[in-house]
Amino acid sequence: MNNNIFIYIELTRDKKIRPVSLQLISKAFELKEKLNGSKIIACMISSDIDFSQNISTIKKYGADEIIIVKDEKLSEYNVCYYPEIILRIIKKYNPSIVLTGATQEGKETASYISTKLETGLTADCTNLSIDENGKLISTRPTFGGQLTADIMNKGIPQMATVQENVFELKESYKDSEVIHESIDISDIDNRVEIISKEYKEASVKDPSLAKIIVSGGLGASTKEGFRLISELAEKIQGAVAGSREAYEKGFITKSQQIGQTGKTVAPALYIAVGISGSNQHLTGIKNSGKIIAVNKDKNASIFQHADIGIIGDLYKVLPKLTEEAELRKEH
Amino acid sequence: MKIAVFIKQVPDTNDVKWTVNNNIDRSRMDSIINPVDKQAIEAGLYFKDNFGAYLTAITMGPDKSKEVLYEALAMGVDDAVLLSDPKFSGSDTCATSRVLAAFIEEKYKNPDIIIFGQSAIDGETSQTGPSTAARLNMPFITQVNSVLNVVQNTVEVSSDTDVKKVIYKVQLPCTLCINNFNQIPRLPEISGYIKAQTYEIKTYSHKDLNLNEEEIGIKGSPTWVKNVFKSPEGRICNYIEFDENNNCIKNIFDIIDEAAKS
Repeated sequence: MNNNIFIYIELTRDKKIRPVSLQLISKAFELKEKLNGSKIIACMISSDIDFSQNISTIKKYGADEIIIVKDEKLSEYNVCYYPEIILRIIKKYNPSIVLTGATQEGKETASYISTKLETGLTADCTNLSIDENGKLISTRPTFGGQLTADIMNKGIPQMATVQENVFELKESYKDSEVIHESIDISDIDNRVEIISKEYKEASVKDPSLAKIIVSGGLGASTKEGFRLISELAEKIQGAVAGSREAYEKGFITKSQQIGQTGKTVAPALYIAVGISGSNQHLTGIKNSGKIIAVNKDKNASIFQHADIGIIGDLYKVLPKLTEEAELRKEH
Repeated sequence: MKIAVFIKQVPDTNDVKWTVNNNIDRSRMDSIINPVDKQAIEAGLYFKDNFGAYLTAITMGPDKSKEVLYEALAMGVDDAVLLSDPKFSGSDTCATSRVLAAFIEEKYKNPDIIIFGQSAIDGETSQTGPSTAARLNMPFITQVNSVLNVVQNTVEVSSDTDVKKVIYKVQLPCTLCINNFNQIPRLPEISGYIKAQTYEIKTYSHKDLNLNEEEIGIKGSPTWVKNVFKSPEGRICNYIEFDENNNCIKNIFDIIDEAAKS
């Protein structure tokens, strides 16, 4: 065993690095300071593509080693190949910490690897730190976000997954060593065939990329409520989003759901409309620059997490805001 | 086909009760079937209705969690099993998947399909299904929202997330983790409930599953909780009482403009 931190680098459909993977490298850079002789190892898998762009991107964030696995069978993620290959690399490099994004692919991979290595895995962490004994502390909300727990792992490696946008990107250049690993995968039995794959074009503005988000909760979950939200969002170039309740009631799509079971967002401004402020929702918005909450219940817990709290009826407040937006546009 | 559906009883996290010391007060909270597990049962019933299957619902938990098995029986599953042992308590996903996989290997034998709900509202890890499948060396598909076909020794399913929709053909045996299933879970029948009350639910302990105490519960769980605290409160709020004539809207708009320029 060593003190190394291993990060699985996830690629997008156009073979670029997913932001969450780079955010994990930035966090690992911080963790490494507290670990003796620790190295950051970033691992990428694909078919025979040109990785030079991705390698220079990773170098910007300070990984010590970049492992590349290429095989014609690995042109896209496959649950029978990818997790098993990463497992084999981890067995070879024996790191003490393994991190992946809390994406569908990252979670599947981490679940598989942790089980095969009989070690623990902590999902959807909101913070990672190192304790006085050099052990990883994985902090995550639990119980619908009502509680926060610091979770330790007796197993090796210590594994955790983290959602997109939970950690910040910090540049820190390092001329990483690039290692090409050839892993024999001829013995892996592929039992999953992809019949068709259809990527979804974002039909609505993606909240994770927006500077301003106007988000509705249970209190806004009426046809009129979300019409007013959309209208305001459009006027101020914001994205529409909502809470789990709004999703369950069908007013937003899964990609617009904010919170622990949806997206974590970090806009400059988050406007929470008719959202009471369950912890599972708050987990997803706490990195927002400013938070404005509109709620008629002055005791709603969202107000304790907002910078500006408008106590009032959203059906009256939103039209006023939209009207003001129009006025300002004219000037 | 032999289909096993794993379900879980969870506290209703939408209605959390606190003790004076800021601990969760489970005794005052309702226990419910994990919502997406109803969809998992429905997916099992969909196989049964369209392709023929013998469906077994299994849960791990205290005696009280039989309630969710009665609900599953009333919805139409054929058999129900409770994995119950004080020694199971405190199991993390690693130890839980050990118990579930041991049940499949020791007692259930030769499943064609194992079904899970994608995640539970109390833990929200999405790990138990894939981990159990990994122990049984089965392929697994997560985020399954519809079942398309069963052809010979394969099943075709669609997996749907906000990023992509993929149709897979998977060799049996396999594990499916269900989310946003395209059939609304049927309601339990009253007559089904009445029948379920007299159904003899088989119960297995760690000994029945040939597990030793070191592999299960707190001892068998690699993860442990160092600290639990009520999630911290956030920001200092500047309250504004809305009334249609005051100037608050203009002040708020300065913040919106600033954000737009950032």
